[in-house]
Formats: sequence, C-alpha cells, structure tokens
Amino acid sequence: MTDLSFLFTQFLGGLTTAMFLFLIASGLSLVFGVMRVLNFAHGSFYMLGAYLAWQAVQWLSPLLESFWLAALFAALAVAVLGGLVERLLLRHMYGKEELYQLLLTYALVLILGDAAKAIWGTQQLSVSRPPILDGAIEMFGSVLPVYNLFIMLAGGAIAVVGWLILSRSSAGRMVRAAALDREMLGALGANVGALYTGMFMASSFLAGLSGALVTPIQSIVPGMDVEVIVEAFIVVVIGGLGSFWGTFWGSLIYGQVLSFGILIMPSFSLFSVFALMAVILIVRPWGLFGKPMR
Amino acid sequence: MTSQRLLAMTFAVALIPAAAVAEDPIKIGYPMPLSGPASVYGVPIVKGAEMAVQEINAAGGVKGRKLELLTRDSKASADEAVRLARELIIKNGVDFLSGTLTSAEAPAVSTIAKENKIVFVAPTSKTIQLVSPKNLHPYIFRLASNTDIDGRTGASIIAKWKDVKRVATIAPDYAYGRDAVGAFVEFIKKARPDIEIVDQQWPKLGTADFTPFITAQMGKKPDAVFCDVFGGDFVTLAKQAAPLGYFKMINNRLVDGGEVGTTDAALALGKDYPYGIWSDTYDPVIWPENEPPAHKAYIEHLKTFTKQEYASGWAIMGYASILALKAGIEKAGSTKSEAVAKAMLGLSFDTPIGKLTFDAKTHETGMGEFWGQMVKDDRYPFAIMKNPTYLSQGPYTQ
Amino acid sequence: MKTNDLASRIPWTLVVFLVALVVPWLGSRYNTFLATQIAISGLFAVSLNLLLGTTGLVSFGHVAYFGIGAYVCGILMKTYAMPFSIALPAAALGAAFASLVFGFFCVRLTRIYFAMLSLAFSQIIWAIAYKWNDVTGGDQGLPDVPYPDLDWMNSIPLLGDLRIAGQFYVVTLVVVGLSLAAMRRIINSPFGRMLTTIRENAERASAIGVDVRRYELAAFVVAGGFAGIAGALFGIFSRGVFSDYVFWPKSAEVMIMTILGGIDHFWGPVVGAATLVLLNQETTSYTEYWSFVLGTILLVLLFAFPGGIVGGLSAGFAWLRRKRRGAAGPETGSAEVATVEVKRA
Repeated sequence: MTDLSFLFTQFLGGLTTAMFLFLIASGLSLVFGVMRVLNFAHGSFYMLGAYLAWQAVQWLSPLLESFWLAALFAALAVAVLGGLVERLLLRHMYGKEELYQLLLTYALVLILGDAAKAIWGTQQLSVSRPPILDGAIEMFGSVLPVYNLFIMLAGGAIAVVGWLILSRSSAGRMVRAAALDREMLGALGANVGALYTGMFMASSFLAGLSGALVTPIQSIVPGMDVEVIVEAFIVVVIGGLGSFWGTFWGSLIYGQVLSFGILIMPSFSLFSVFALMAVILIVRPWGLFGKPMR
Repeated sequence: MTSQRLLAMTFAVALIPAAAVAEDPIKIGYPMPLSGPASVYGVPIVKGAEMAVQEINAAGGVKGRKLELLTRDSKASADEAVRLARELIIKNGVDFLSGTLTSAEAPAVSTIAKENKIVFVAPTSKTIQLVSPKNLHPYIFRLASNTDIDGRTGASIIAKWKDVKRVATIAPDYAYGRDAVGAFVEFIKKARPDIEIVDQQWPKLGTADFTPFITAQMGKKPDAVFCDVFGGDFVTLAKQAAPLGYFKMINNRLVDGGEVGTTDAALALGKDYPYGIWSDTYDPVIWPENEPPAHKAYIEHLKTFTKQEYASGWAIMGYASILALKAGIEKAGSTKSEAVAKAMLGLSFDTPIGKLTFDAKTHETGMGEFWGQMVKDDRYPFAIMKNPTYLSQGPYTQ
Repeated sequence: MKTNDLASRIPWTLVVFLVALVVPWLGSRYNTFLATQIAISGLFAVSLNLLLGTTGLVSFGHVAYFGIGAYVCGILMKTYAMPFSIALPAAALGAAFASLVFGFFCVRLTRIYFAMLSLAFSQIIWAIAYKWNDVTGGDQGLPDVPYPDLDWMNSIPLLGDLRIAGQFYVVTLVVVGLSLAAMRRIINSPFGRMLTTIRENAERASAIGVDVRRYELAAFVVAGGFAGIAGALFGIFSRGVFSDYVFWPKSAEVMIMTILGGIDHFWGPVVGAATLVLLNQETTSYTEYWSFVLGTILLVLLFAFPGGIVGGLSAGFAWLRRKRRGAAGPETGSAEVATVEVKRA
C-alpha cells in the first residue's frame, strides 16, 4: 500500500515537471508550427519573464503583495518585446535560409543574456510563494504542494485554451492555414504579417508567463536561459516539432521518464535524454504525435 | 665632447626604463566566471580581491610597489580560463595568477602556471585532483577547503546524532558532488557502523525541478541527509522540498557542505529558508558572538566597498588570495615567482577569519569552514548561522 | 589592366602562408599564440563550411567531431604516451568514423531536422565526455596534454631557436596548410562541384541519377575528419581537453566565425576566424560583455552583410570596378565576370 502511494507521489512529481516544461515549450512549438522558426531566444524570454516578475514584486512590495499582478506585468512586457523582435528583426528573415533565422535568434540569446546581467547583476534572486498557494494537500497518501497543483492546472488550462483557439476560432483557422501554406493564405487576402506578429507575441507571452510562474519555486540566476532551452527543444522534438498536442504529450512523457528513470538508474544522466531525442529524430523525425511534413 | 654627451644621454635613456620598472605595479591575473550561473560566486570573489588590492595600495603597496589586478571573465569554462591565463602571462606580463572557480578551471590553469613557472593561488576550487601528488608542482597553492574535508566534516556532524540510523545523500552529478559524498560515506561508515546509507540522489547541475528526486528520497524514509547541492540549485531545492514536507520528515537534520550557510544563499531565500538545517560558509559575515575585531572591520569596509546592505560570504576568498600573495612576496623579498613559490611553503598569514598556513608538503591551507545551524533571528530578514564554529575534519581515526 | 594581371599572378595563398610562417621569429610570444589560435580556428571553420557553404547542410553539432578529435589525440598522447605522429591521424580517423555513423542518420533528414539531429548527437558526445570519468576525465577534463616531441627541431637552424610553443606553431601551420590545400582540391574536384549542385538543387541532382545522400554523407565525413584534426591541434595548443569543447554553444561560435567571413568563399571562414579571434582578445581585455558584443556583430552581419566580410568586400570591389568602367564606357557585362572571378578566388 505504501508502495503504491510512493509510486503515485513519484507520478505527481513527474507531472509537475511535465507541466512546467509544457508551459515553456508550448510557445516554442507554436512558433515553429506556424512560422517554421526555431527560436533559441525563447529561453531568454523565459529568463526575462522571471527577472521582470521579481522586479515587479520589488516595485509593488511597498504598496501591496501581489504576485499575480507582477506575473501578468512580466508576461505582457515580454510579449511586447517579442512583438518588437518580430516586427523589427525576424520579419526580414522569413523566406531566407534556416541558418539565418537560427543565428538571428541566437544573437538575441547573447544580447539578452548580457542585458539581464547588466540590469539585475549576478546574484541569485527568488520570489516568495503567494500566500494562497502556500502549503500542501494530501492526496491518496501523497503530499502535493498547492503550488505544484496550481502549475498542473495552469498547464492544463493553457493546453485547453490553446487547443480551443487553434481549432475553433477564425484566428486559429488562419494559423493552421498559415502553417500549411503561407503564400496561399496571403493570396486569399489574409493579413499574414499581423498574424505572425500576433503569433510571436502569444509565444513570447507564454515564455514570459512561465518564467514568472517558476520564480516562487526556482532561483533566478544568470544562465537559466541556456539551461531551459535545451530541455524545451527535447520536449518539442519528442512530441513533434510544431505540434501543439504533441508538445503536451511530449512533456508528459519527459516528466515521467525523468521521474521513474531516477528510481531505476540512480544517476539518470543527460545521456539518456539526448539519446531519446536522437532516436525519435531518426525513427520519427516528425515526433511521436506530429504529422510528417512535405 | 659630443661623443661624451652622447654617451651620457644614452646612459640617461637607459636609466629611465630601469627607474620605471621600480614604479611598475605588481600585476596579478585573475580569471574568474563573471557571467553564467557561476558568476553568482565569481563576482563577489573578485570584489573581495579588488578590495584587498585597494587596501594594500592605500597603505603603500607591497615593498613600495602597487598591486594591479587584471580580472577576466572565464565563463566557468576550462579552455577559456587557460586562454586567458596565457594571454595574461604573455601579453600583459602578469607576475602572479590567482582566480578560477570550478574544479575544471583550476587544474587546467595549474598546467599553465607550471609551464610558465608562475605562482598560482587557487582560492575556491575544491577538487582533490588539483594538488594530488601526480599534479602537484612548485607553483600551485590552494586556499580553499577540499572535497575530502567537506565530506568528512559533514559526516562528523551527523555522526554525533546518536538516534540517526538511516542516512541519505543528495549532490550534483559531477566530480565535486561525487567526491564529497564519497568522503562523507567513507567517514560515516567508520565513525558509525550502525548507520545505513538508504538512498543517494544525483540531480544534474542546474536542475530546474528537484521534485522527483526529493519524493524518491522521501520514499526511503531517511532520518538525516547529507546534501552538497549549492547556490542557485539549493534555492530551487529548498523551495520545492519545503511544501513536500522534506525538511519536516528529517527534522531539519540536513547537513549541506555546499556553503548554503553564506549570507548570499540566506538572502536569496529570505523567509523561505529551511530554518534549522546545518551548513557551512567560508565567512559567517554575521557573527553573533565573539566576533574578532579584524573581521568586523573587514565586513564594514566590504559593505561600503560593494555598496551592499549585507556583505557576501564569498568575498573573503578573493580577499585572502591577495593577502596570501602579499605575504609570499614580502617573505621572499622579491616578486620572482621562483622565490615566492619557495617562500610560500609553510607560510602563515593573517586573514579576517583567522590565520592560514600553506602546508609545505601539500601546498594547501587545509582550511576548514565555519559550520553551524541556520536559525531565525529577528534582527535580520534572513537566516543566520548560530554559533559559527570553525571545523576542519581530518581522516577518521579511532 | 597590367597591374591587375600582375596581382592575379602572385600566388597569394603561398604569400600568406609564408608570412604566417615567419610570425614566431618576430619575437612576440603573444603574436605566435594568436596566430596558432587563428590557424586552428580557421581550419575548423573551413571544415564546417564544407557542409554549410558547399553542400548547404546546416550542422548545429559540428563541434562533436572537433571534440572527438581533441579527446582521441589527448587521450592517446597523455594517457598512453603515444607520439603525435600516431595520435593526429588517429584523431582524424576517429572523428571521421563518428561522422560516418552519425552522418548516416543525419543525411536522411532535411533542413531543420538535420540541424536538430546533429545537435542531439553533439549533446550525446558532450554527455559522454562529461560523465565518462575514467577515460575523458569527466567534467574536469584532461589537463596537461603534452606537446609533441619536437626535439628533432632543435638541431635545425632557425627552428632550433624557437620555444616549444613556436615550434608547435610551425607544426600547426604545416598541418593546417596541408589540410586546407586538401580541402580546396576536394571542393574543386568533380565531387566538390557535385556537392554545390546538390546545394543549389538537390531534386534536380537526384533526378539525373545522383545518390544525393551518399554525396552528403561523404561531405559530412570529410568535414568531420578535418574538424577532428583541428580539435587534436587545439587540445595540444590549449594544454588540455575539456568537456566545454563539445558543448553546443561552441557549435554556434564556429558557425558565427564561418558566416562572419562569408560562406560563399573558400577563404571566408579563415577571415572570419581571424577576425573573431582578434576581436575576442581585444574585447575581453576591456569588458566582460563579450556576448553582447558578439550578438551585436551577428545582428549587423545578418542585416548588413549577409555575405560576410569576404562577400561584402568582393561585392564592394565589384561595384567599384563597375563604377570605373561605367565612367569609361558602356556597361559590357564584365562586372558579372569580375564577381565570378572573385568568388572563385
């Protein structure tokens, strides 16, 4: 019995990891799916979300303690930055080789990383949990911190909202059409430019939001951008580059593989994760849940 | 007549550089991570070194010559540190090397120091490889503690808790964590044969989510934990472990050998710090009782120097690395590395945290750290160390 | 016109090689140090350009083969005390073999998937290097890789006057020179021209019966082998082999070198490597914000000079020439010829 509840605890741990990663990777996957741009700077947007949330908490603290306001501010600010990046820089790279798009987003990684260092220094920072989400609940004999539950729900909510928008709204139809054939959509009179800007802003918003939401349970340190982007890539590749649901399932698999992997192999190493990524790319390059393209 | 004047002029010209040499500063090259995750430590260490240089120069320098610190960003990468060390030697003509943080950087730079016959004082690298008999050479000196001392000291604390029977470990999955845990296990098994190691977790460096590691460890029901997770990773671990009931389960009997007893870590966690755990720090910074006057003066100066309300516990290592070189130069009466290297064998020098001595055989100070329980204190908005006690545990002997 | 003929008759590559060869005798250890670094980085970047520019394959994991070369050579020379004359070819072969295995899978994928898989493979190599303590030294790497035994040089006049670092530079320059010459021949051979055809239109190439994958794989292996040579030299030059060598940002770095110089020209990557090395040395002495500087350079490059330095210069020269001709007489279409000429140089 205790054994079973232990396994359940481990499962919950994996679920938390998964939903974290989904929050981050969903935006990366969206942009790739529609714009065919692999955005290295997604991790940098995530990092900026974290720093901005911390900053907003500091600004607000004399008046009120509102983590939520801070998180919203951070996500919006990053979304605006994302919009600027798309309009001023990325726009000029569409239709060029992937190499140039990759390098453009990598240039942003370099610049934003140093900018964050110049603004916030190199000290480790952190934000306290909002009081409502402090503590933990018991569930079938396992302890689940309320904040983890919140992250799970947030991840699930984003998955559902994202799916609804993509599948039910007219904007979603345009997005899906753009993913299939950009020129055709443009020829039909749709404003592809605005669509792309909106898309990139939504993706940046998700990155900023996830960065802000992790601050209560993670430290904010220089280099967190590079750390996270590789994991997000792995998740997106497992699920299928550009597939929204694929990313969701990819996150779940990654979380559980990690969570139970450390029970079987105590030093569950980086090696296995990259090996998994390579195997999937070899066997099913479009991922476990994606569709082959072209 | 003209030829004589010419000769005189030549002499004069020849003398100018000689005079200038006497005025030249003594240059110390200091590669240190100033960007990326490791800059959390690199930056305060460099601040400490800068402050030492400023103090020494204000007091007239060393043997009448000023010190000049040349800091460079090593990015915590060994090959970058090597490149910078060589550049500092052959382009900038540094007289001495110090700096480097990680267990990869320091041995790599040590190779360069050996090749160029330049004294190198490693302030914080803890790897036993650095001065192992195979790698030891006349020019390498280590200020810091090492992973053996870390692990053994942690074990000596847990060994005193008589009711503890089940011990777990959690440490980053690379040489530093593995070596320290290895030393811990070896010591505790000898000191307390009745203790069983029930679980060992190895999260990678920079883990963003410790939850599965913590739940897996809790499943083995340990009474106490030896932890070597440090810095930003420890902040993450503490925040994720607390609501899971991890610290409560082990009754706060967690001993961390990764300097999470520094003010830096305590400040970052604020009121989320897991009060009651045990940890270490090179410098307690806040020293509730019996604070040595030299330490008090040092911290006061550091606060104004860095314009920070609370000083960093890492700065002392940079500060002491410069004091070590100063003492070496003064004893040798020369800035020639060969003479200084000889002078440093068995050299003792005073620092704000006490006297340190380079062992003539091992080239280490064998310094320990300040250990203690981290407690709440209403005077500060973060955890402080109760009764900081200097500990440096040697090998277990019955 | 006559001067132009004269200029084109001078074997510039030989001149550059000879000038580079003199560096250690000029007395500055620092210049020798920089020149060694430039030569090795140049070779590495040219090997990447065989994929990037010549064949049109975006490899985001080229650093894996550089690293394998470095580790093979470092382990053989340090752990097994093998001579350089065995360790260097072994490094090239080891890297080429790894690129054969990994490349076999990579060339089956197109575009972004190719880039992702090459990245995944390089991260696997990194994870192995980082974890396999007994062989690679793990995260602490293998410091203290010895210099090759160059005592035989001491009996040779001039060479005997040099320090070991200078002597190693001469060895490096010869190895790099031969490697570049070999790669140039490969690129100008029918095989190399076929690679260019594949880059321009893979579908047409396969329509006329070319086994595109096999050609791409061959290019991958050749590029990997030369990257391995560069890695072997770099390990000795850096006096150690470390897991950072294979970490993915290094792949981005060499890619930036290549693009900075210009991927449409054989010598572009060398120019890019030299520029970046010199710039890095100068900048890091003044500021710790090198990443910011590099990122800004990259942005300027992407927007203002997508052809890189060499591309930009040759376009500039072509424009000047056209302008001069335009003043003298009607346009005759020779500008086109001029660009092609420069491109081939």
